[in-house]
Amino acid sequence: MKLLAPAYRRSAAAILALLLAAPAARAFVDDALSFAYEAANPYAERGWIIREDAWGGDLGAGDKKRVAAQLFRGNSYMFFLATDVDNASLRVNIYDAQGNLAESKSWQRGRFAYAEIKPRSTGTYNVIVEVISSPEERTGWALVYGFQRK
Amino acid sequence: MIPRLLFVILLGLSPAAAQKPDKSIDLGQFPADTVENVVVPVPSEIFAVLDKLGNPNWRAQLGPEKNYPASPNRAQVALLLGTVIADGFVAVEAEDSERVKEIGRNVLTLAEAINVRKSVVARSNSIIQKADAREWNAVRREFDGALQDVNKAMIELNDEQLAQLVSLGGWLRGTEVLTSLVKEKYSRDRAELLYQPLLVDYFSGQLDRMSPRLRGQPLVGEIRRSLGRIGPLIKKSPPDGITPETVAEINDLSVQMVDLIRAKAGRP
Repeated sequence: MKLLAPAYRRSAAAILALLLAAPAARAFVDDALSFAYEAANPYAERGWIIREDAWGGDLGAGDKKRVAAQLFRGNSYMFFLATDVDNASLRVNIYDAQGNLAESKSWQRGRFAYAEIKPRSTGTYNVIVEVISSPEERTGWALVYGFQRK
Repeated sequence: MIPRLLFVILLGLSPAAAQKPDKSIDLGQFPADTVENVVVPVPSEIFAVLDKLGNPNWRAQLGPEKNYPASPNRAQVALLLGTVIADGFVAVEAEDSERVKEIGRNVLTLAEAINVRKSVVARSNSIIQKADAREWNAVRREFDGALQDVNKAMIELNDEQLAQLVSLGGWLRGTEVLTSLVKEKYSRDRAELLYQPLLVDYFSGQLDRMSPRLRGQPLVGEIRRSLGRIGPLIKKSPPDGITPETVAEINDLSVQMVDLIRAKAGRP
């Protein structure tokens, strides 16, 4: 199985780390990012182009975050969400500009969550990241995405 | 490592989650401060869609055949670098390997002027090698990567605002090309690609928040004003909003901005 080069992950982690203000949060978000890329890697083997940059932060249990995305009809997109916190449960879903569920597929299991969309129209979409439950007060999360021409 | 990867693959094959998502949500529950993250598409995403909409005349979209010199004005260089990287995508679409190689070298010249040469040397060499081999998908990925490497290096140098100008330059040149192609052979499907309200707001917001020193530069000021004029046009929602006339208007504005950026090449 082809894995992405370590430098690839390091560079994405570096971007993310610099975007984060709190040094305490940095380490666990870096770990979350490693998990997210690891989860996305098999999809790269299936023809998905995985972006080299990523989004992340930390949330309390029950909290949600919105990541706004410009998506184009004609492409397919996948979003992988991960955390490094054992026994945490996450969810990621995609809604259109009116707040209607727009994804074609999603699943969540433990520290990983996934959502896929083939946009019916070009425009703004809202990727909602949620920490459903967690043993920690704050749970680091990282989101990576990929696209495919189909 | 391997068991973890197998676990991930199995997750992908597993049935949908037990907890079903809400069919709709109130986006009002996410005030502005919860939307700090915006996913800006890489050029490949847009070109991927264009590929499927017939057979555009990419050669007609190639920019002037010249290597742009760097200027002492770093904001101008950043904007220009973005447009040159976008030119790279056009040259790839046109399958013009000589032009791709020239652009790869020009990226290096401009990157040097803003102290990020080291971060793109490997990409530039790879672009040249892969263009020689006519491995177009690989060249596309390298140009995407070059844009991201430049951004990353600038952020590391605390030049995040310059990184934003690189992205903006790329978006402006991309918009110029996109509108030219749509204008050439208008269809609703093609025009829909221009519907990018999030990105216009995102770039406008970044320009508004730039340091007074950068905002005070005539070139940046001019682009800020023109972006303000593009905004309402690009926000006209499909299917009826983006008419041939609107496309022509956006094209005029983007041509003017890209010409302005290029005209300042090599000048203080």
